[in-house]
Amino acid sequence: MNDATVQAAHLSKSFGAKRVLDDLTFAVAPGDVIGVLGKNGAGKTTLLELMLGFTPPSAGDIRVFGHSSERLPGDAKSRVGFVPQQDELIDQLTVADQLRLIASFYPHWDAELIDRLCTEWGVNPKARVKSMSVGERQKLSILLAFGHRPDLLVLDEPVASLDPMARRQFLEQLVEASADGRRTVIFSSHIVSDIERLANRIWILKDGRLDWQGDLDSLKESIVRLHLRAADGVLANLEVPGALSVRRDGSFTTAVVRDWTPGSLESLTAGRAIDVQVESLALEEIFLELHR
Amino acid sequence: MFVLKPQSGVPIYRQILEQVRRMVASGQLAPGAELPSVRDLALKHAVNPMTISKAYSLLEAEGMLERNRGRPMTVASQARNSSLLNRRLQQIQPLVEQTVLAAKQLEIGEAELVKSVRRNWENDHE
Repeated sequence: MNDATVQAAHLSKSFGAKRVLDDLTFAVAPGDVIGVLGKNGAGKTTLLELMLGFTPPSAGDIRVFGHSSERLPGDAKSRVGFVPQQDELIDQLTVADQLRLIASFYPHWDAELIDRLCTEWGVNPKARVKSMSVGERQKLSILLAFGHRPDLLVLDEPVASLDPMARRQFLEQLVEASADGRRTVIFSSHIVSDIERLANRIWILKDGRLDWQGDLDSLKESIVRLHLRAADGVLANLEVPGALSVRRDGSFTTAVVRDWTPGSLESLTAGRAIDVQVESLALEEIFLELHR
Repeated sequence: MFVLKPQSGVPIYRQILEQVRRMVASGQLAPGAELPSVRDLALKHAVNPMTISKAYSLLEAEGMLERNRGRPMTVASQARNSSLLNRRLQQIQPLVEQTVLAAKQLEIGEAELVKSVRRNWENDHE
């Protein structure tokens, strides 16, 4: 895939003896909205920072718009927007000054969009950055990353401090930005329900590896909870293929399985009198099951 | 017009598929009726536009919806006929499977089961 927005091959990163990311290979297509999930310390921030060229890989390769991310040329850089976990605002400036400063780096800054969003999101241009709450600072950081209408938007925990109203407005803006199907959004968040709304693809980072990458829809269809019921004794020795967890209770068994397909049902029951009910799981439950 | 629950385990595109099929089968959506645009629906529910496009494309492929240049998608004129029996049979298929399984576990023969279904059917019609 040559037109990939971001492409990584056997990407690894260590800090000293600690290996934070281990052999990641992936490709991100234009139009993808990727939700990055992982426990604290799973390597999400490091992954996003490698993408932005803030730190070099220890092994392997990562490319953004076809260029090595450490040596991204200026025109490619201007197509990237980033919202860091910890904002990099300048306390002494007012909101308007801070916006003007960032806008000066970009010839095609969309001042109209940013003015409108300031009003809609209740960000006062006259306020001094120093006096703003954490949530207000986060809104401003997002605006700073949106203004040049980047083709690749990378967001590291962008909504952690936003109230539900502000989060919804932010999500609507992401929908708006991705509606033409050309922009790429990569965002990490612990608010799984936001990822569930917005992402079409999911990366689950676990112990520095990509434990799962693929479509959200396939993830939801391939990890399910089975409720099995049969006469006494039938279930006791039943092997449930791909089981992440199994709970047995006499003639009932509950199991969460991965790699489930419609065909799995037949091979599981295989002529035995077992009643099977398949329950779909919310993304949060899937995430928890994968971390048992 | 849709009730979308992103946190239900059922993928959003499948929720749309099922709701359109049901509304067409029941006649709530008549042939020619317009569907909301992908953009409007995505914004209203704050969900990924691609998810909605995917549902619309699948519905188009099964002949339920028609794509119109520069205008909203509409319910196809043949939609109701094709959706009628097969779709509705599919919807009760899980219940039928469960009933047959239970009958086998209880060692009830096919003829007895059919008789029982018929009895219930007739009672219901009185």
